[in-house]
Amino acid sequence: MKKQLFIFFLMLAFVSCKTEVKKRTGKLQIVTTTTMITDMLKNIGGDVVEVKGLMGSGVDPHLYKASEGDVSKLFNADVVIYNGLHLEGKLEDIFEKMQKQQKHIIAVSNAVNKNGLISSEYFASSYDPHIWFHIDYWKQATKYIIEELKKLDPTHTATFEENGKQYLEKLDALSEEVQKIIAQLPVEKRILVTAHDAFNYFGKLHNFEVVGLQGLSTATEAGVQDVQKLANFIIEKQVKAIFVESSVPKRTIKALQAAVRSKNYQVIIGGTLYSDALGNAGTEEGTYIGMYTYNVKTIVNALK
Amino acid sequence: MNSAQIIIQIIIALVAIACAIPGTFLVLRKMSLISDAISHSILLGIVIGFFIVEDIASPLLIVLAALAGIVTVILVEYIQKTGLVKEDTAIGLVFPALFSIGVILIAKNANDVHLDIDSVMVGDLSFAPFDLLQINCIEGVPDSCINLGPKAIWVIGTILVITLTLLITFFKELKVSTFDAGLAAALGFSPIIMHYGLMTVSSITIVGAFDAVGPILVVALMIAPAATAYLMTKDLKKMLMLSCFLGVFAAISGYWLAHVLDASIAGSMTTVLAILFLLVYEPIITSALVSISIAIAFFFYQYYQELLVHGVNFEHLPLGEKIHTVFSKFILLDFIYCIGMAVSLAGFLIYILPKRGVIYGYYKVQQQKTEIMLLVFLLHIRNHEEESERHVKHLNEHINWQRLRSKTIVDLALKNNMVTIDDSIISLTDKGEEFTEKAIDYIITNKDAEIEEMKDDFFLFRG
Repeated sequence: MKKQLFIFFLMLAFVSCKTEVKKRTGKLQIVTTTTMITDMLKNIGGDVVEVKGLMGSGVDPHLYKASEGDVSKLFNADVVIYNGLHLEGKLEDIFEKMQKQQKHIIAVSNAVNKNGLISSEYFASSYDPHIWFHIDYWKQATKYIIEELKKLDPTHTATFEENGKQYLEKLDALSEEVQKIIAQLPVEKRILVTAHDAFNYFGKLHNFEVVGLQGLSTATEAGVQDVQKLANFIIEKQVKAIFVESSVPKRTIKALQAAVRSKNYQVIIGGTLYSDALGNAGTEEGTYIGMYTYNVKTIVNALK
Repeated sequence: MNSAQIIIQIIIALVAIACAIPGTFLVLRKMSLISDAISHSILLGIVIGFFIVEDIASPLLIVLAALAGIVTVILVEYIQKTGLVKEDTAIGLVFPALFSIGVILIAKNANDVHLDIDSVMVGDLSFAPFDLLQINCIEGVPDSCINLGPKAIWVIGTILVITLTLLITFFKELKVSTFDAGLAAALGFSPIIMHYGLMTVSSITIVGAFDAVGPILVVALMIAPAATAYLMTKDLKKMLMLSCFLGVFAAISGYWLAHVLDASIAGSMTTVLAILFLLVYEPIITSALVSISIAIAFFFYQYYQELLVHGVNFEHLPLGEKIHTVFSKFILLDFIYCIGMAVSLAGFLIYILPKRGVIYGYYKVQQQKTEIMLLVFLLHIRNHEEESERHVKHLNEHINWQRLRSKTIVDLALKNNMVTIDDSIISLTDKGEEFTEKAIDYIITNKDAEIEEMKDDFFLFRG
């Protein structure tokens, strides 16, 4: 036993238990889940709030696993802002419980009218959570978050309003630009085949027929029949390109491509789209606006 | 440390103990795989529960999950009893079948509901401190709840109390039925009841711990501490205590490893568990590897911090380039420091660790062989007065040793002052005389074990 105690103390020597001083800069501490929301909050909040995102670039929100640092982020947070509509899975239950622990919890999806949401075929109460692909909904969400922030930190009302106005203007500009690009593509060519059903709102906004190989949740696998059916669909509609997503493995789309090829039709992989997460921070695709433009350009260029 | 971090450590310590107790018996009964099997087949229970109540949040799902675990055990037992397949085969047959039925049921009936194990159980330690048990909640009224602290502490605490009570009450019965089922049956307590009792406890513990810490960590905490403890002791009580201690130790140090690395908590803990096992299983190689990694990590971390302070931004770089950037700052002196640190650490670890492992075992066997030869050699010298028999050259032919070996033996005898050589004639010293005499005494009186102890008194250098 003496020896075991020895090991214990030895191991202790390597553990630096530096006590964390809770940084109280007086700024509102905001924790966000997805990269899209993080980007929005950084735009609205600017320097007067501290925004910390839980999920990194390329992380699938359905399959997100927390790291140790996330515990402290959540613990120190004043406000937690998440997407909602079951995008974050079981995490949402915990957020709801945190609401009862004097933390402010805001779901971005609350901003959008339930009638405008796309609901599940079988279960009316569950909705498609990928609302950020509808620019109008994202603008509603932005306005909603600005109002909430004003309530939480009234001293910086002016800043939030000013930043928010600028961000909304940028979104308007984005909307126009995107429409111009998409107008180059004839309506009959607007068919978007992706790894999972993330682009339904995108399709709704821009008149695309959207087909996902995997269904809403990325946790399920595509069945053999799904692949064959989709392959036939691609040939029938003469689709030129299909797309992989940054947060979903390429394997399934590659399988689809092979299935199409075996039926003597060539379909190319049109590029990688950002669906559930933005690109790396510091790059153009690391912002919501950059991501959206990139996606649209990739889609239009490949399908033209 | 903030309160969330303290709560996580309390939860994981409780989980470690709650898992180590049934885990010890599973390892002893050669049924380690059953923990993995149960953690898979609970999916079926969850799916069936969902079809009954159509609500993911219902506690019935958890109850049915535990039941599915028990069904797994019963089926395994049933198949194995036929004697046509072995136990591990039976386990491997049952749980994939149950799991697949669950998967097919989801695919056919609930494809667009997010229904899997993850959606019913949190399975992530990071969020356990925020998952509070709340009662008296009034719908729509904030702050109306009474908070009773984290749910996981209550669930695991209850399971632990039940497990401990059962363990203390039935310790004797468990012990006998684990090691000798036949004797247990003859003494009048059914080994079957003990078996199912243990499996029920395991199943409930797995489901309860699953919710708090996730699937991999449950299996790791059940098996790894018990397997490690089994290498260190053959006493059941000591083994139970050791596996609890090792489990808690690995859990807490794994947590701090995760803190330093800002990585997944469960992943870090499982890594520490694996390292602990390897340290006991093969101390020399493992301690060398661990020391080298610690030394490198130490320097890496310092440079990383330094680069961050100097404002080098590599947050956006991929991991490979990050490592490259930091290592490119290394200079030769650092590598020398690194090696020095690793060597001293490894030496220390080897010194304090129990003397076990494959290499040590091989070394020990060689040492024994040489020492037995030395004894044979000394006996030979003692029995022969004539000089021709005691000539150095003669030994090769007479005892039929190869030259190298005989040289080793003679050198060893010389180093230990047991013989002297005059003109190539070997003769025993007083010390050699005494040693040989005592050894003969022990061999005659059949006390061979005493020779080992005697060696410590006589040998300055071992073989």
